[in-house]
Amino acid sequence: MDELLQALAQGFLVGSTYGLLALGMGLIYSVSGLVNFAHGDFFSLGMYLCFALFSAFALDPYVSLVITLPAMMLIGAGVYQFLIRPIAGHHLLMVIQLTLGLALLVQNGILMVFGGQFERTPSIVESKLVLLGPVVVRMPHVIACLASFGIAAALYVLLRSTDWGRAIRSVHQNAKAAALMGIDVGRVRMLTFAAGLGLLAIAAALIVPGTPMHPSLGLRYTVITLIVMVLGGMTNFVGIMLAGLVIGISEALGTIYLSDMLGMLMPYLIFVVIMLLRPQGLLKAA
Amino acid sequence: MLEVHGLTAGYGGNPVLEDVRIEIGRGKLVGLLGANNAGKSTFINCLSGVVPASSGRILFEGEDITRLSPKSRVERGIIQVPEGRLVFPDMSVRENLLLGGVNATARPRRAERIDYVLDLLPRLKERIGQAAGTLSGGEQQMLAIGRGLVAEPRLLMLDEPSLGLAPRFVQYVFEIIDKLHADGLTVLLVEQNLNLTLRHSDYCYVLERGRVVVEGVSAHVKDDPRTKSAYLGL
Repeated sequence: MDELLQALAQGFLVGSTYGLLALGMGLIYSVSGLVNFAHGDFFSLGMYLCFALFSAFALDPYVSLVITLPAMMLIGAGVYQFLIRPIAGHHLLMVIQLTLGLALLVQNGILMVFGGQFERTPSIVESKLVLLGPVVVRMPHVIACLASFGIAAALYVLLRSTDWGRAIRSVHQNAKAAALMGIDVGRVRMLTFAAGLGLLAIAAALIVPGTPMHPSLGLRYTVITLIVMVLGGMTNFVGIMLAGLVIGISEALGTIYLSDMLGMLMPYLIFVVIMLLRPQGLLKAA
Repeated sequence: MLEVHGLTAGYGGNPVLEDVRIEIGRGKLVGLLGANNAGKSTFINCLSGVVPASSGRILFEGEDITRLSPKSRVERGIIQVPEGRLVFPDMSVRENLLLGGVNATARPRRAERIDYVLDLLPRLKERIGQAAGTLSGGEQQMLAIGRGLVAEPRLLMLDEPSLGLAPRFVQYVFEIIDKLHADGLTVLLVEQNLNLTLRHSDYCYVLERGRVVVEGVSAHVKDDPRTKSAYLGL
């Protein structure tokens, strides 16, 4: 019983960060109709930026966010403006190839600079444990979970009830009509792409303490993120957070009750089953 | 108020509009008529800046706006109510109206403008919290017009507002347009509906295959045989 509770707690905490990763992807998809296959590698980049700042200045990952967040947003704005925007009107496949190329570029760039060994970025809270009855969880996971839900809630409110959020949703629902409202559609798309990468910078700082990183892990994060986004209904942010939890919990249960290897496969299996039963995602698209 | 000189535009080398010259005086209700594919929507989109002009000049209150972004034109009060209404379907009526006034010029007085629109179009008040996609076609047209009015238009351009509406609603839409005109608003009305447009407008242009073939005071345009031929494609 304790084992089950432990698995559920672990899965819930990790799953919330999957949700956060997928919110960034969903945000970009919702205004540009663009699936960013470099998402996981940009996430890796965020983690390695934390690592570099720790190596150079002994900055705690949570503190280095003041540098990595604007840096990642700038990278996002640049990538959108100079690479994606020029080919945005062309065939969807072109954009997909571009983001795949970016994934390879980022991955091998990291490999070149940091080498192919596993690295870790410590944090002062890393070894702290939190006891919840019979369940023991690591402090960074608790922080990550609380922050993920906090950010998701803030994003929800921002999109629902501010002009900025309404502008984003209007571009998603009808780009031409949005332009006729005087909304600069290109600018909204660029800023959303930047915000998507900003979310990755935050996610990286939250996940990096104690998590081993390797340049080749980007694709794995992309796939998990993609699964969570699709499961959540692409643009439904409540659905995406829920899907993150489903995937995180299934992974944790699989790892504990089956084996490490099979546990990693559980999310994919769950994904296939849910997609067969509910092809529109857990909740309908918003 | 608006002068268009020698406007040519098109997609991928094929001109849809050729050398179009149009003038709209302040406070006038000007009709732009033509059959399908005559280039009416392209023309209005050129004025909004969402389709680029390949040559020619567009002057708004003396200022050359030919190369301005759609955003800058909206801020100058050139507001389009697009064909097919294009309301934001998953947003409420209120959110649609709020977006109408999202531009920098209209935002300070947005709340008053929304009150004005809800008084003018009381149907929208009943539906204020409802998702726009669930409204009837006529109500969506009301909303599209209302959304345009929140933007504080100096020139309101309506692209086929009667398209696909029940006759009762068509009548209502034209009553609203008449009222706006009577209150002094400058209106460009793009329509296929020949008789209604001629009856309600001060001046009319008839487009055929991207060229103005007839223009004049609406009563004269009605009797011009070229008007009919432009419609029938003779």
